[in-house]
Amino acid sequence: MGGGDGPLNAPRWLGWAWAIPAAFLAAFLVYPVIVLGARVGLGDGWSGLTAASTWQVAGLAAVQALASTILALVVGIPMANVVSRYRYRGRALAQAMVTVPFVLPTVVVALAFRSLLGSGVPQGFALVVVAHAYVNLAVVARIVGAQWAQHDDRYENVARTLGATRWQAFVTVTLPGLRGAIASSAAVVFVFSFTSLGIVLLLGDSTTRTLESQILRQTSVLLDFPGAAATAVIQLVLVTGVLLAGAMAGRRSPRRTMRPVALRPVPAGLSGIVVRVAVATTVIIVIAPVAALLLDSLRAGGAWSTAWWSAMGSVDAGTTRIGSPLGALGMSLGYALVTAVIASIVGGLAAVAVLSRGRARVVALLAIAPLGVSAATLGLGTLLAFGRGPIDLRGTGLLVPIAHALVAVPLVVAVVAPALRATDSRRLAVAASLGARPTRAFVTAYGSVLRVVMLASAALAGAVSLGEFGAASFLARAGNPTVPVQIVRLLSRPGEESYGVAAALAVVLVALTLALVLLVDRFGMSALQRSARTA
Amino acid sequence: MTPRLAADDLVIGHGSTVIAAGISFEVMPREIVAVVGPSGSGKSTLLATLAGVIPALSGRVLVDGADVTQVPIHHRGIGMIFQEPLLFPHLDVTDNVAYGLRRQGMSRAEANERAATLLQWLGLAGYEQTSVDQLSGGQAQRVALARALAPRPAVLLLDEPFSALDADLRRRLVIEVSEALRHEGTAAIHVTHDLAEAAAMADRVITVPEAPESGPSALGRPAPPA
Repeated sequence: MGGGDGPLNAPRWLGWAWAIPAAFLAAFLVYPVIVLGARVGLGDGWSGLTAASTWQVAGLAAVQALASTILALVVGIPMANVVSRYRYRGRALAQAMVTVPFVLPTVVVALAFRSLLGSGVPQGFALVVVAHAYVNLAVVARIVGAQWAQHDDRYENVARTLGATRWQAFVTVTLPGLRGAIASSAAVVFVFSFTSLGIVLLLGDSTTRTLESQILRQTSVLLDFPGAAATAVIQLVLVTGVLLAGAMAGRRSPRRTMRPVALRPVPAGLSGIVVRVAVATTVIIVIAPVAALLLDSLRAGGAWSTAWWSAMGSVDAGTTRIGSPLGALGMSLGYALVTAVIASIVGGLAAVAVLSRGRARVVALLAIAPLGVSAATLGLGTLLAFGRGPIDLRGTGLLVPIAHALVAVPLVVAVVAPALRATDSRRLAVAASLGARPTRAFVTAYGSVLRVVMLASAALAGAVSLGEFGAASFLARAGNPTVPVQIVRLLSRPGEESYGVAAALAVVLVALTLALVLLVDRFGMSALQRSARTA
Repeated sequence: MTPRLAADDLVIGHGSTVIAAGISFEVMPREIVAVVGPSGSGKSTLLATLAGVIPALSGRVLVDGADVTQVPIHHRGIGMIFQEPLLFPHLDVTDNVAYGLRRQGMSRAEANERAATLLQWLGLAGYEQTSVDQLSGGQAQRVALARALAPRPAVLLLDEPFSALDADLRRRLVIEVSEALRHEGTAAIHVTHDLAEAAAMADRVITVPEAPESGPSALGRPAPPA
């Protein structure tokens, strides 16, 4: 927001915009976490905190997450280089492609890797690590790429004139300049891999368990809710520690001269060939698993067929007769719609609170806290808090969208807040000086940007809801699964039909998710451009 | 006597765009040459081409009589200082100055000793362990000079290194840099748009007239006599 001191002539209600998100977060984030903590004190919960088996799983998950992070960095850093720094035909498409794996539902990614690699690569550590690296390529490429795009090449030129080879200049000058971005992205990738559920369930074995899968097992198989609560608390503490360490490493990164740097032309000779090969490899890496998934949905009995697509409306379509795939799709779309409404209201108001000072800003910070809480923890906490008396919301059908909204709210804040900050607050004063009352002036100043950006954030929240698996696996009722839950159930059954229908369902999910993400991109960019034009 | 640096019928530019053609000149050992001209005349591109940061479109660059046109930057023995000091922010003052020496394979102790000598000469004794974030603009530019001089380059290229400084500091630094170059016996090309600054520092001044409205820069035209 221009000036940054809070808008002049703001309407009085703006000072209370924080109240609704604060109430929502207190009820559906803080309270469930408290209930979760209280559960640790019951039964064998305390012993769960020190149980060797839990810490063994934490160790396995940490090793897996570390390997996933290293692979994501090794592949993602060169990707960041080619999609962020060079000018070539199709660069925007390449940049969009890099984002695709991140927006795909994790169970879809898992299924896509099964389709791509077939039985060539056995389930287990390697497959899980590769799938995690794939999902998180966008995190590395986007975070590191954003920093790298602003990096002043003259630092390397100085190093080269001082006798450094190209590699020495990269290691001694470029990498230290990217250290903060690399540390931040590594922390995020580590946390995502450490708290993974869908990929671990579908591609993992006993060596790739995570605390998230442990929580699911403790609740659904062992019915050990205090133990699950203890595991969730351990995970919460570990994840918070990693995220804080990443943030601190990012903050300690030295400042250097940044200047708007134009995209560089692809160099001639060998370097140019390397860049072009890297771009082509990037696109192939992203497309291959999704293409394999699509092909698998069109193959039945070794021949081309639309059988799996035709069977989508049938209850018998490879399922345990829990409902048709199309029924799950309808359920997911309904949840996505409700999630979009809840998340855009809560997240939108939290973002508006950023414009104010004091406690309202605290709420805006609290609104991004769910990022550090895993989906299964949210699901379990919500189930414990609202899945039985005294407050039983199971019959309302709201538990899933509420949990999904918690996952989506931080992203909504991340979309809305920058657009509001980029809008010149002096427009409030101009509107007021022309006789507009405070609320009218606020609508004049921020209305057009808010309308567009709220649509974008609603689409984003819908996309999050469509693909979310962790919380839904706790909260979706047995007869009304969401699409990701249905896919996992289908894959737990043997037979070609189950697999084929799951692939077809996954392709539909990919199409819906990409359509929503494209809407976000279009609306989001449009809002920022409006802000920029009028700032 | 063999020139320390020579440009022979050099054509400079970016990609297929020629900025200046037919550039030929020589810089003798210990000589400081100033190139003065307006913005856009190709002065910075000339320095970048000499250093090997961008390739020459045609022609030759010679250091001590050897053709280095195809030699990579780090083997040319040509140092460079830019308008901003561009000190490596993750290294302290000593490590910045010792950077080139370490790349030459010098031991840390030896490199630090040479760095300390240069820092003392430039009035920066006591700043050895200081973070470069804490330096003033003038101090930072002195450290950049020490860093560039430390590996004893055959030639030092100065691309308007004082233009971001205030007038007083600029006057002082022009004298200090000039003394440092002569003390080290380093040949240099100093690019500037300030004729007075050029005259105060250089043995010889090449002025580049305004470029014609169309066509390449006037940099490649025959230089007026010194």
